[in-house]
Amino acid sequence: MNRHTPALWLALAASMLLGTGCKKDPAPEAQQAQAPAKTLKLVYVNWAEGVAMTHLAKAILEDRMGYQVELTMADVAPVFTSLAEGDSDAFLDAWLPLTHKEYMERFQGKVEDLGTNYEGARIGLVVPAYVKASSIQDLAAMKKELDGQIVGIDSGAGIMSTTEKALAAYKLDFRLMTSSGPAMAASLQDAIKRERPVVVTGWKPHWKFARWDLKFLEDPQGIYGSAESIHTLTRPGLEKDKPEVARFLRAFKLDDQQLGELMGVVAEAKGDPSQAVREWMTRHAALVDGWLPRS
Amino acid sequence: MDVRIGEGFERLIDGLKERFDPLFHAVADGLTAAIRGLEGLLLLAPSHVLIALIALASWRLSGVGSAVLCALGLELIDAMGLWRATMETLALVLSSACVSLLLGIPLGILASYNRWLARGLRPLLDSMQTMPAFVYLIPAVLFFRLGKVPGVVATVIFAMPPAVRLTQLGIQQVPRDVVEAAIAFGSTPRQLLWHVQLPIALPTLLAGVNQTLMLSLSMVVISAMIGAGGLGEQVLKGITQLRIGLGFESGIAVVILAIVLDRLTHALGQPRSRPT
Repeated sequence: MNRHTPALWLALAASMLLGTGCKKDPAPEAQQAQAPAKTLKLVYVNWAEGVAMTHLAKAILEDRMGYQVELTMADVAPVFTSLAEGDSDAFLDAWLPLTHKEYMERFQGKVEDLGTNYEGARIGLVVPAYVKASSIQDLAAMKKELDGQIVGIDSGAGIMSTTEKALAAYKLDFRLMTSSGPAMAASLQDAIKRERPVVVTGWKPHWKFARWDLKFLEDPQGIYGSAESIHTLTRPGLEKDKPEVARFLRAFKLDDQQLGELMGVVAEAKGDPSQAVREWMTRHAALVDGWLPRS
Repeated sequence: MDVRIGEGFERLIDGLKERFDPLFHAVADGLTAAIRGLEGLLLLAPSHVLIALIALASWRLSGVGSAVLCALGLELIDAMGLWRATMETLALVLSSACVSLLLGIPLGILASYNRWLARGLRPLLDSMQTMPAFVYLIPAVLFFRLGKVPGVVATVIFAMPPAVRLTQLGIQQVPRDVVEAAIAFGSTPRQLLWHVQLPIALPTLLAGVNQTLMLSLSMVVISAMIGAGGLGEQVLKGITQLRIGLGFESGIAVVILAIVLDRLTHALGQPRSRPT
Protein backbone atom coordinates (compact mmCIF):
# COMPACT_ATOMS: atom_id res chain seq x y z
CA MET A 1 0.00 0.00 0.00
CA ASN A 2 2.76 2.45 0.96
CA ARG A 3 6.31 2.39 2.23
CA HIS A 4 5.46 3.46 5.71
CA THR A 5 3.19 0.62 6.65
CA PRO A 6 5.83 -1.68 8.21
CA ALA A 7 7.26 1.16 10.26
CA LEU A 8 3.79 2.18 11.35
CA TRP A 9 3.00 -1.31 12.55
CA LEU A 10 6.29 -1.47 14.37
CA ALA A 11 5.60 1.80 16.12
CA LEU A 12 2.11 0.65 17.01
CA ALA A 13 3.40 -2.64 18.33
CA ALA A 14 5.96 -0.83 20.42
CA SER A 15 3.39 1.53 21.84
CA MET A 16 1.03 -1.36 22.56
CA LEU A 17 3.84 -3.12 24.39
CA LEU A 18 4.63 -0.01 26.39
CA GLY A 19 0.94 0.60 26.90
CA THR A 20 0.34 -2.81 28.41
CA GLY A 21 3.38 -2.26 30.58
CA CYS A 22 1.80 0.93 31.85
CA LYS A 23 -1.63 -0.48 32.54
CA LYS A 24 -0.65 -3.12 35.02
CA ASP A 25 -3.07 -4.26 37.65
CA PRO A 26 -2.48 -2.03 40.67
CA ALA A 27 -3.86 -4.62 43.09
CA PRO A 28 -0.59 -5.94 44.55
CA GLU A 29 0.64 -2.41 45.17
CA ALA A 30 -2.64 -1.47 46.83
CA GLN A 31 -2.12 -4.30 49.30
CA GLN A 32 1.39 -3.11 49.90
CA ALA A 33 0.07 0.32 50.78
CA GLN A 34 -1.36 -1.17 53.98
CA ALA A 35 2.13 -2.38 54.74
CA PRO A 36 2.77 -5.04 57.36
CA ALA A 37 3.92 -3.67 60.70
CA LYS A 38 7.56 -4.49 60.05
CA THR A 39 8.41 -2.04 57.29
CA LEU A 40 9.79 1.45 57.67
CA LYS A 41 10.42 4.33 55.29
CA LEU A 42 13.36 6.58 56.05
CA VAL A 43 13.96 9.73 54.03
CA TYR A 44 17.23 11.59 53.83
CA VAL A 45 18.82 14.54 52.10
CA ASN A 46 22.14 14.08 50.37
CA TRP A 47 24.20 15.56 53.22
CA ALA A 48 27.17 13.55 54.41
CA GLU A 49 26.15 13.21 58.08
CA GLY A 50 22.57 12.30 57.12
CA VAL A 51 23.68 9.71 54.56
CA ALA A 52 25.92 8.10 57.20
CA MET A 53 23.38 8.13 60.06
CA THR A 54 20.47 7.03 57.89
CA HIS A 55 22.35 4.05 56.46
CA LEU A 56 23.49 3.10 59.96
CA ALA A 57 19.92 3.27 61.31
CA LYS A 58 18.74 1.17 58.36
CA ALA A 59 21.35 -1.52 59.05
CA ILE A 60 20.43 -1.68 62.76
CA LEU A 61 16.68 -1.79 62.07
CA GLU A 62 17.20 -4.57 59.54
CA ASP A 63 19.81 -6.72 61.32
CA ARG A 64 18.76 -6.27 64.93
CA MET A 65 15.04 -5.43 64.85
CA GLY A 66 13.81 -7.38 61.81
CA TYR A 67 12.42 -4.45 59.85
CA GLN A 68 12.43 -3.96 56.10
CA VAL A 69 13.69 -0.42 55.57
CA GLU A 70 13.16 1.58 52.41
CA LEU A 71 15.42 4.61 51.90
CA THR A 72 14.44 7.56 49.74
CA MET A 73 16.72 10.46 48.94
CA ALA A 74 15.23 13.85 48.16
CA ASP A 75 15.76 17.56 48.60
CA VAL A 76 14.99 19.07 52.00
CA ALA A 77 11.60 20.69 51.22
CA PRO A 78 10.15 17.49 49.70
CA VAL A 79 11.45 15.57 52.74
CA PHE A 80 9.53 17.76 55.18
CA THR A 81 6.45 17.66 52.94
CA SER A 82 6.56 13.88 52.81
CA LEU A 83 6.86 13.55 56.61
CA ALA A 84 3.98 15.96 57.19
CA GLU A 85 1.86 14.00 54.70
CA GLY A 86 2.63 10.82 56.63
CA ASP A 87 4.13 9.13 53.57
CA SER A 88 7.55 8.69 55.16
CA ASP A 89 8.27 7.59 58.71
CA ALA A 90 11.42 9.39 59.85
CA PHE A 91 14.14 11.87 58.93
CA LEU A 92 17.37 11.89 60.96
CA ASP A 93 18.98 15.09 59.79
CA ALA A 94 17.00 18.15 60.91
CA TRP A 95 19.18 21.02 62.16
CA LEU A 96 17.57 22.93 65.00
CA PRO A 97 16.90 25.46 66.43
CA LEU A 98 18.13 27.54 63.51
CA THR A 99 18.92 26.02 60.12
CA HIS A 100 15.55 24.37 59.53
CA LYS A 101 13.53 26.78 61.67
CA GLU A 102 11.44 27.91 58.70
CA TYR A 103 10.42 24.34 57.86
CA MET A 104 9.55 23.59 61.49
CA GLU A 105 7.32 26.66 61.63
CA ARG A 106 5.70 25.83 58.30
CA PHE A 107 4.95 22.23 59.34
CA GLN A 108 4.19 22.92 63.00
CA GLY A 109 2.15 20.07 64.49
CA LYS A 110 2.62 18.00 61.34
CA VAL A 111 6.03 16.55 62.20
CA GLU A 112 7.13 15.19 65.56
CA ASP A 113 10.52 15.89 67.08
CA LEU A 114 12.03 12.90 68.91
CA GLY A 115 14.93 14.97 70.20
CA THR A 116 18.58 15.14 69.28
CA ASN A 117 20.81 12.49 67.78
CA TYR A 118 23.93 14.68 67.71
CA GLU A 119 24.73 17.75 69.80
CA GLY A 120 27.29 20.44 69.20
CA ALA A 121 26.75 21.04 65.53
CA ARG A 122 28.02 24.47 64.70
CA ILE A 123 27.23 27.03 62.00
CA GLY A 124 29.00 30.25 61.16
CA LEU A 125 31.46 31.86 58.79
CA VAL A 126 34.33 29.58 57.78
CA VAL A 127 37.72 30.47 56.28
CA PRO A 128 40.79 28.42 55.32
CA ALA A 129 43.33 28.24 58.18
CA TYR A 130 45.83 30.46 56.33
CA VAL A 131 43.46 33.46 56.35
CA LYS A 132 44.64 36.04 58.89
CA ALA A 133 41.21 37.00 60.18
CA SER A 134 40.20 35.29 63.41
CA SER A 135 36.90 37.03 64.10
CA ILE A 136 33.99 38.23 61.96
CA GLN A 137 34.79 41.87 62.65
CA ASP A 138 38.27 41.41 61.10
CA LEU A 139 36.61 40.97 57.71
CA ALA A 140 35.97 44.70 57.31
CA ALA A 141 39.69 45.30 56.73
CA MET A 142 39.87 42.50 54.13
CA LYS A 143 37.02 43.65 51.93
CA LYS A 144 39.26 44.22 48.89
CA GLU A 145 40.99 40.83 48.94
CA LEU A 146 37.63 39.13 49.34
CA ASP A 147 35.94 41.10 46.52
CA GLY A 148 33.42 42.16 49.15
CA GLN A 149 31.59 38.85 48.99
CA ILE A 150 30.73 35.89 51.16
CA VAL A 151 29.86 32.63 49.42
CA GLY A 152 26.57 31.25 50.70
CA ILE A 153 24.39 28.21 50.01
CA ASP A 154 20.70 27.69 49.09
CA SER A 155 18.52 30.75 49.66
CA GLY A 156 16.08 28.86 51.92
CA ALA A 157 18.67 27.76 54.48
CA GLY A 158 18.55 29.31 57.96
CA ILE A 159 22.27 30.03 57.82
CA MET A 160 21.61 32.53 55.02
CA SER A 161 19.16 34.74 56.92
CA THR A 162 21.39 34.51 60.00
CA THR A 163 24.38 35.62 57.94
CA GLU A 164 22.40 38.63 56.68
CA LYS A 165 21.74 39.49 60.35
CA ALA A 166 25.45 39.08 61.13
CA LEU A 167 26.44 41.39 58.24
CA ALA A 168 24.12 44.06 59.64
CA ALA A 169 25.23 43.54 63.26
CA TYR A 170 28.94 43.77 62.44
CA LYS A 171 28.28 46.60 59.96
CA LEU A 172 30.02 44.75 57.13
CA ASP A 173 29.48 46.03 53.60
CA PHE A 174 29.60 42.57 52.01
CA ARG A 175 27.33 40.80 49.52
CA LEU A 176 26.09 37.36 50.49
CA MET A 177 26.07 35.26 47.31
CA THR A 178 23.25 32.73 47.05
CA SER A 179 24.54 29.49 45.56
CA SER A 180 24.30 25.89 46.75
CA GLY A 181 26.20 23.51 49.01
CA PRO A 182 28.29 22.05 46.15
CA ALA A 183 29.03 25.45 44.65
CA MET A 184 30.14 26.74 48.07
CA ALA A 185 32.47 23.74 48.49
CA ALA A 186 33.80 24.21 44.96
CA SER A 187 34.70 27.86 45.52
CA LEU A 188 36.39 26.86 48.79
CA GLN A 189 38.42 24.22 46.94
CA ASP A 190 39.34 26.69 44.22
CA ALA A 191 40.48 29.35 46.68
CA ILE A 192 42.54 26.84 48.69
CA LYS A 193 44.26 25.59 45.50
CA ARG A 194 45.29 29.16 44.70
CA GLU A 195 45.90 30.10 48.37
CA ARG A 196 43.49 33.02 48.08
CA PRO A 197 41.36 34.24 50.96
CA VAL A 198 37.70 33.22 50.88
CA VAL A 199 34.77 33.33 53.33
CA VAL A 200 31.94 30.80 53.15
CA THR A 201 28.88 30.03 55.23
CA GLY A 202 29.87 26.76 56.88
CA TRP A 203 28.66 24.16 59.32
CA LYS A 204 30.04 21.20 61.20
CA PRO A 205 29.80 18.15 60.99
CA HIS A 206 30.71 18.39 57.31
CA TRP A 207 33.23 16.57 55.16
CA LYS A 208 34.98 19.83 54.24
CA PHE A 209 36.64 19.89 57.66
CA ALA A 210 38.14 16.45 57.01
CA ARG A 211 39.42 17.47 53.59
CA TRP A 212 40.92 20.89 54.29
CA ASP A 213 42.38 22.83 57.21
CA LEU A 214 39.59 25.30 58.03
CA LYS A 215 38.49 27.44 60.96
CA PHE A 216 35.34 29.17 62.15
CA LEU A 217 35.55 32.92 62.57
CA GLU A 218 34.77 33.97 66.13
CA ASP A 219 31.37 35.54 66.64
CA PRO A 220 31.71 37.78 69.73
CA GLN A 221 28.14 39.08 69.38
CA GLY A 222 26.76 35.53 69.33
CA ILE A 223 24.63 36.09 66.21
CA TYR A 224 25.02 32.46 65.12
CA GLY A 225 24.02 31.16 68.53
CA SER A 226 26.26 28.87 70.50
CA ALA A 227 25.61 25.58 68.76
CA GLU A 228 22.99 23.66 66.87
CA SER A 229 21.84 20.11 67.27
CA ILE A 230 20.74 17.52 64.76
CA HIS A 231 17.26 16.19 65.52
CA THR A 232 15.31 13.09 64.54
CA LEU A 233 11.88 13.96 63.14
CA THR A 234 9.03 11.54 62.47
CA ARG A 235 5.63 11.66 60.85
CA PRO A 236 2.82 12.31 63.31
CA GLY A 237 1.69 9.09 65.02
CA LEU A 238 4.80 6.95 64.54
CA GLU A 239 5.27 6.74 68.29
CA LYS A 240 1.76 5.28 68.65
CA ASP A 241 1.83 2.66 65.90
CA LYS A 242 5.53 1.69 65.99
CA PRO A 243 6.58 2.35 69.59
CA GLU A 244 9.73 0.20 69.44
CA VAL A 245 11.02 2.12 66.43
CA ALA A 246 10.37 5.41 68.20
CA ARG A 247 12.16 4.11 71.31
CA PHE A 248 15.16 3.12 69.22
CA LEU A 249 15.23 6.47 67.38
CA ARG A 250 15.07 8.34 70.71
CA ALA A 251 18.02 6.34 72.01
CA PHE A 252 20.04 6.69 68.77
CA LYS A 253 22.68 9.32 69.61
CA LEU A 254 26.23 9.85 68.38
CA ASP A 255 29.00 12.03 69.75
CA ASP A 256 31.51 14.02 67.76
CA GLN A 257 34.09 11.27 67.53
CA GLN A 258 31.62 8.46 66.70
CA LEU A 259 29.90 10.47 63.98
CA GLY A 260 33.24 11.63 62.57
CA GLU A 261 34.44 8.03 62.28
CA LEU A 262 31.12 6.89 60.77
CA MET A 263 31.20 9.67 58.17
CA GLY A 264 34.78 8.71 57.41
CA VAL A 265 34.00 5.06 56.63
CA VAL A 266 30.93 6.02 54.58
CA ALA A 267 32.96 8.53 52.56
CA GLU A 268 35.58 5.87 51.85
CA ALA A 269 32.99 3.33 50.72
CA LYS A 270 32.74 4.48 47.12
CA GLY A 271 29.37 2.99 46.27
CA ASP A 272 26.76 1.58 48.62
CA PRO A 273 27.65 2.30 52.26
CA SER A 274 25.69 -0.64 53.74
CA GLN A 275 28.80 -2.81 54.11
CA ALA A 276 30.83 -0.01 55.69
CA VAL A 277 28.17 0.85 58.31
CA ARG A 278 27.85 -2.83 59.26
CA GLU A 279 31.59 -3.01 59.93
CA TRP A 280 31.25 0.12 62.05
CA MET A 281 28.40 -1.61 63.94
CA THR A 282 30.57 -4.60 64.88
CA ARG A 283 33.30 -2.25 66.12
CA HIS A 284 30.80 -0.35 68.30
CA ALA A 285 28.67 -3.32 69.39
CA ALA A 286 28.20 -2.06 72.96
CA LEU A 287 26.99 1.35 71.82
CA VAL A 288 24.55 -0.21 69.32
CA ASP A 289 23.23 -2.65 71.96
CA GLY A 290 22.52 0.30 74.24
CA TRP A 291 20.23 1.83 71.59
CA LEU A 292 18.05 -1.23 71.18
CA PRO A 293 14.74 -1.15 73.03
CA ARG A 294 14.58 -3.71 75.86
CA SER A 295 11.50 -5.79 75.29
CA MET B 1 -2.41 47.65 42.94
CA ASP B 2 -1.15 44.49 44.57
CA VAL B 3 -2.16 41.33 42.81
CA ARG B 4 -1.36 38.03 44.47
CA ILE B 5 -2.12 35.11 42.20
CA GLY B 6 0.23 32.91 44.22
CA GLU B 7 -2.21 32.65 47.12
CA GLY B 8 -4.91 31.53 44.73
CA PHE B 9 -2.58 28.85 43.41
CA GLU B 10 -1.88 27.65 46.96
CA ARG B 11 -5.60 27.46 47.71
CA LEU B 12 -6.16 25.59 44.45
CA ILE B 13 -3.49 23.03 45.38
CA ASP B 14 -4.93 22.54 48.88
CA GLY B 15 -8.45 22.20 47.46
CA LEU B 16 -7.38 19.66 44.85
CA LYS B 17 -5.53 17.68 47.49
CA GLU B 18 -8.54 17.54 49.80
CA ARG B 19 -11.02 16.67 47.09
CA PHE B 20 -9.07 14.18 44.98
CA ASP B 21 -6.70 12.58 47.46
CA PRO B 22 -8.00 9.00 46.94
CA LEU B 23 -7.78 9.42 43.16
CA PHE B 24 -4.21 10.71 43.36
CA HIS B 25 -3.23 7.83 45.60
CA ALA B 26 -4.80 5.31 43.24
CA VAL B 27 -2.90 6.84 40.32
CA ALA B 28 0.28 6.81 42.39
CA ASP B 29 -0.16 3.16 43.35
CA GLY B 30 -0.91 2.09 39.77
CA LEU B 31 2.04 4.00 38.35
CA THR B 32 4.39 2.72 41.05
CA ALA B 33 3.37 -0.86 40.25
CA ALA B 34 3.94 -0.25 36.54
CA ILE B 35 7.36 1.34 37.01
CA ARG B 36 8.48 -1.32 39.48
CA GLY B 37 7.27 -4.00 37.08
CA LEU B 38 9.19 -2.47 34.20
CA GLU B 39 12.28 -2.18 36.39
CA GLY B 40 11.98 -5.84 37.35
CA LEU B 41 11.62 -6.77 33.71
CA LEU B 42 14.75 -4.83 32.71
CA LEU B 43 16.78 -6.31 35.56
CA LEU B 44 15.43 -9.83 34.98
CA ALA B 45 17.97 -10.79 32.33
CA PRO B 46 21.72 -10.52 32.97
CA SER B 47 23.08 -7.22 31.65
CA HIS B 48 24.99 -8.80 28.74
CA VAL B 49 21.85 -10.52 27.46
CA LEU B 50 19.87 -7.28 27.48
CA ILE B 51 22.74 -5.44 25.81
CA ALA B 52 22.82 -8.10 23.07
CA LEU B 53 19.07 -7.69 22.54
CA ILE B 54 19.31 -3.90 22.32
CA ALA B 55 22.27 -4.15 19.94
CA LEU B 56 20.29 -6.59 17.78
CA ALA B 57 17.34 -4.21 17.65
CA SER B 58 19.53 -1.26 16.69
CA TRP B 59 21.25 -3.37 14.01
CA ARG B 60 17.87 -4.26 12.45
CA LEU B 61 16.69 -0.66 12.71
CA SER B 62 19.72 1.40 11.85
CA GLY B 63 22.65 -0.71 10.83
CA VAL B 64 25.90 -2.15 12.09
CA GLY B 65 27.50 1.11 13.19
CA SER B 66 24.69 1.93 15.61
CA ALA B 67 24.65 -1.60 16.97
CA VAL B 68 28.35 -1.47 17.81
CA LEU B 69 27.99 2.00 19.38
CA CYS B 70 25.03 0.92 21.53
CA ALA B 71 26.73 -2.29 22.65
CA LEU B 72 29.99 -0.54 23.56
CA GLY B 73 28.22 2.28 25.39
CA LEU B 74 26.03 -0.05 27.43
CA GLU B 75 28.97 -2.32 28.26
CA LEU B 76 30.82 0.76 29.53
CA ILE B 77 27.88 1.58 31.83
CA ASP B 78 27.94 -1.99 33.11
CA ALA B 79 31.69 -1.84 33.65
CA MET B 80 31.33 1.40 35.64
CA GLY B 81 28.94 -0.40 37.99
CA LEU B 82 26.00 1.80 37.06
CA TRP B 83 23.81 -0.87 35.44
CA ARG B 84 21.12 -0.96 38.13
CA ALA B 85 20.88 2.83 38.37
CA THR B 86 20.70 3.05 34.57
CA MET B 87 17.89 0.51 34.38
CA GLU B 88 15.99 2.41 37.12
CA THR B 89 16.34 5.57 35.05
CA LEU B 90 15.38 3.74 31.85
CA ALA B 91 12.21 2.41 33.52
CA LEU B 92 11.38 5.93 34.71
CA VAL B 93 12.04 7.48 31.30
CA LEU B 94 10.07 4.82 29.41
CA SER B 95 7.12 5.14 31.79
CA SER B 96 7.16 8.93 31.50
CA ALA B 97 7.45 8.82 27.73
CA CYS B 98 4.68 6.24 27.56
CA VAL B 99 2.30 8.41 29.63
CA SER B 100 3.31 11.46 27.57
CA LEU B 101 2.55 9.69 24.29
CA LEU B 102 -0.71 8.12 25.48
CA LEU B 103 -1.90 11.62 26.37
CA GLY B 104 -0.03 13.64 23.79
CA ILE B 105 -0.70 11.82 20.50
CA PRO B 106 -4.52 11.74 20.85
CA LEU B 107 -4.44 15.40 21.92
CA GLY B 108 -2.34 16.24 18.88
CA ILE B 109 -4.79 14.42 16.57
CA LEU B 110 -7.74 16.26 18.12
CA ALA B 111 -5.91 19.58 17.86
CA SER B 112 -5.23 18.98 14.16
CA TYR B 113 -8.99 18.68 13.55
CA ASN B 114 -10.14 21.49 15.81
CA ARG B 115 -8.65 24.94 15.41
CA TRP B 116 -10.10 26.25 18.69
CA LEU B 117 -8.66 23.39 20.69
CA ALA B 118 -5.30 24.00 19.00
CA ARG B 119 -5.46 27.68 19.97
CA GLY B 120 -6.40 26.89 23.54
CA LEU B 121 -3.63 24.31 23.86
CA ARG B 122 -0.82 26.56 22.70
CA PRO B 123 -0.41 28.73 25.80
CA LEU B 124 -0.83 25.64 27.98
CA LEU B 125 1.89 23.75 26.10
CA ASP B 126 4.13 26.82 26.20
CA SER B 127 3.80 27.13 29.95
CA MET B 128 4.36 23.38 30.45
CA GLN B 129 7.67 23.69 28.62
CA THR B 130 8.86 26.90 30.25
CA MET B 131 7.58 26.88 33.86
CA PRO B 132 10.65 26.13 36.00
CA ALA B 133 10.26 22.54 37.20
CA PHE B 134 11.03 23.42 40.83
CA VAL B 135 7.71 25.29 40.99
CA TYR B 136 5.64 22.15 40.56
CA LEU B 137 7.91 19.70 42.38
CA ILE B 138 6.38 20.30 45.82
CA PRO B 139 2.75 20.10 44.61
CA ALA B 140 3.73 16.86 42.83
CA VAL B 141 5.07 15.47 46.11
CA LEU B 142 1.91 16.60 47.94
CA PHE B 143 -0.31 14.79 45.46
CA PHE B 144 1.71 11.69 44.65
CA ARG B 145 4.03 11.12 47.64
CA LEU B 146 7.78 11.05 47.50
CA GLY B 147 9.33 8.64 45.01
CA LYS B 148 9.12 7.70 41.38
CA VAL B 149 5.59 8.86 40.66
CA PRO B 150 6.04 12.62 41.22
CA GLY B 151 9.18 12.23 39.13
CA VAL B 152 7.11 10.78 36.29
CA VAL B 153 4.49 13.50 36.67
CA ALA B 154 7.08 16.29 36.58
CA THR B 155 8.72 14.63 33.56
CA VAL B 156 5.41 14.30 31.70
CA ILE B 157 4.66 17.99 32.22
CA PHE B 158 7.99 18.84 30.64
CA ALA B 159 8.20 16.17 27.93
CA MET B 160 4.63 15.92 26.62
CA PRO B 161 4.36 19.17 24.57
CA PRO B 162 6.52 18.04 21.62
CA ALA B 163 4.42 14.89 21.25
CA VAL B 164 1.27 17.03 20.94
CA ARG B 165 2.86 19.64 18.69
CA LEU B 166 4.57 17.29 16.26
CA THR B 167 1.51 15.03 15.96
CA GLN B 168 -0.63 18.04 15.11
CA LEU B 169 1.98 19.36 12.67
CA GLY B 170 2.41 15.99 10.97
CA ILE B 171 -1.30 15.61 10.29
CA GLN B 172 -1.70 19.20 9.14
CA GLN B 173 1.15 18.73 6.70
CA VAL B 174 -0.55 15.89 4.83
CA PRO B 175 -1.09 17.29 1.31
CA ARG B 176 -4.65 18.53 0.81
CA ASP B 177 -5.03 16.82 -2.57
CA VAL B 178 -4.20 13.44 -1.01
CA VAL B 179 -6.88 13.95 1.62
CA GLU B 180 -9.38 15.06 -1.02
CA ALA B 181 -8.56 12.07 -3.19
CA ALA B 182 -9.12 9.70 -0.28
CA ILE B 183 -12.47 11.30 0.48
CA ALA B 184 -13.40 11.16 -3.21
CA PHE B 185 -12.72 7.42 -3.20
CA GLY B 186 -15.19 7.15 -0.35
CA SER B 187 -12.99 6.62 2.70
CA THR B 188 -14.63 7.13 6.08
CA PRO B 189 -13.04 9.62 8.51
CA ARG B 190 -11.58 6.71 10.45
CA GLN B 191 -10.04 5.18 7.31
CA LEU B 192 -8.74 8.61 6.36
CA LEU B 193 -6.97 8.95 9.71
CA TRP B 194 -5.57 5.41 9.94
CA HIS B 195 -4.70 4.71 6.29
CA VAL B 196 -3.86 8.14 4.91
CA GLN B 197 -3.07 10.81 7.47
CA LEU B 198 -1.21 8.83 10.14
CA PRO B 199 1.06 6.91 7.72
CA ILE B 200 2.03 10.11 5.91
CA ALA B 201 2.48 11.98 9.21
CA LEU B 202 4.46 9.12 10.75
CA PRO B 203 8.00 10.51 10.32
CA THR B 204 6.97 13.78 12.01
CA LEU B 205 5.09 11.86 14.68
CA LEU B 206 8.11 9.71 15.43
CA ALA B 207 10.25 12.83 15.65
CA GLY B 208 7.84 13.79 18.43
CA VAL B 209 8.36 10.43 20.15
CA ASN B 210 12.09 10.96 19.90
CA GLN B 211 11.89 14.49 21.33
CA THR B 212 9.71 13.29 24.20
CA LEU B 213 12.27 10.64 25.13
CA MET B 214 15.15 13.11 24.97
CA LEU B 215 13.32 15.67 27.13
CA SER B 216 12.41 12.93 29.62
CA LEU B 217 16.09 12.19 30.03
CA SER B 218 16.87 15.81 30.79
CA MET B 219 14.63 15.59 33.87
CA VAL B 220 16.46 12.73 35.61
CA VAL B 221 18.43 14.91 38.03
CA ILE B 222 15.48 17.10 38.96
CA SER B 223 13.35 13.98 39.53
CA ALA B 224 16.02 12.66 41.89
CA MET B 225 15.39 15.67 44.14
CA ILE B 226 11.96 14.20 44.88
CA GLY B 227 13.12 10.67 45.47
CA ALA B 228 13.06 9.14 41.99
CA GLY B 229 16.49 7.51 42.42
CA GLY B 230 18.40 6.09 39.44
CA LEU B 231 21.22 7.88 37.65
CA GLY B 232 19.95 11.28 38.75
CA GLU B 233 20.60 10.32 42.36
CA GLN B 234 24.14 9.25 41.46
CA VAL B 235 24.73 12.59 39.73
CA LEU B 236 23.47 14.45 42.82
CA LYS B 237 25.66 12.35 45.11
CA GLY B 238 28.67 13.09 42.98
CA ILE B 239 27.99 16.80 42.77
CA THR B 240 27.02 17.57 46.38
CA GLN B 241 30.17 15.96 47.73
CA LEU B 242 32.44 17.38 45.04
CA ARG B 243 33.18 13.91 43.74
CA ILE B 244 33.57 15.16 40.22
CA GLY B 245 34.49 11.69 38.97
CA LEU B 246 31.28 10.03 40.19
CA GLY B 247 29.19 12.90 38.83
CA PHE B 248 30.91 12.60 35.46
CA GLU B 249 30.48 8.82 35.24
CA SER B 250 26.75 9.06 35.98
CA GLY B 251 26.43 11.95 33.56
CA ILE B 252 28.12 9.92 30.81
CA ALA B 253 25.72 7.05 31.54
CA VAL B 254 22.80 9.44 30.93
CA VAL B 255 24.37 10.50 27.64
CA ILE B 256 24.88 6.87 26.52
CA LEU B 257 21.28 6.06 27.39
CA ALA B 258 20.19 9.07 25.33
CA ILE B 259 22.27 7.95 22.34
CA VAL B 260 20.81 4.43 22.49
CA LEU B 261 17.21 5.67 22.73
CA ASP B 262 17.84 8.23 20.02
CA ARG B 263 19.23 5.64 17.60
CA LEU B 264 16.35 3.28 18.21
CA THR B 265 13.55 5.84 17.85
CA HIS B 266 15.13 7.96 15.15
CA ALA B 267 15.53 4.94 12.90
CA LEU B 268 11.84 4.05 13.22
CA GLY B 269 10.84 7.13 11.27
CA GLN B 270 13.14 6.50 8.37
CA PRO B 271 12.37 3.30 6.51
CA ARG B 272 15.56 1.93 5.05
CA SER B 273 16.45 -1.03 2.93
CA ARG B 274 16.73 -4.20 4.99
CA PRO B 275 20.26 -4.67 6.29
CA THR B 276 21.97 -7.72 4.90
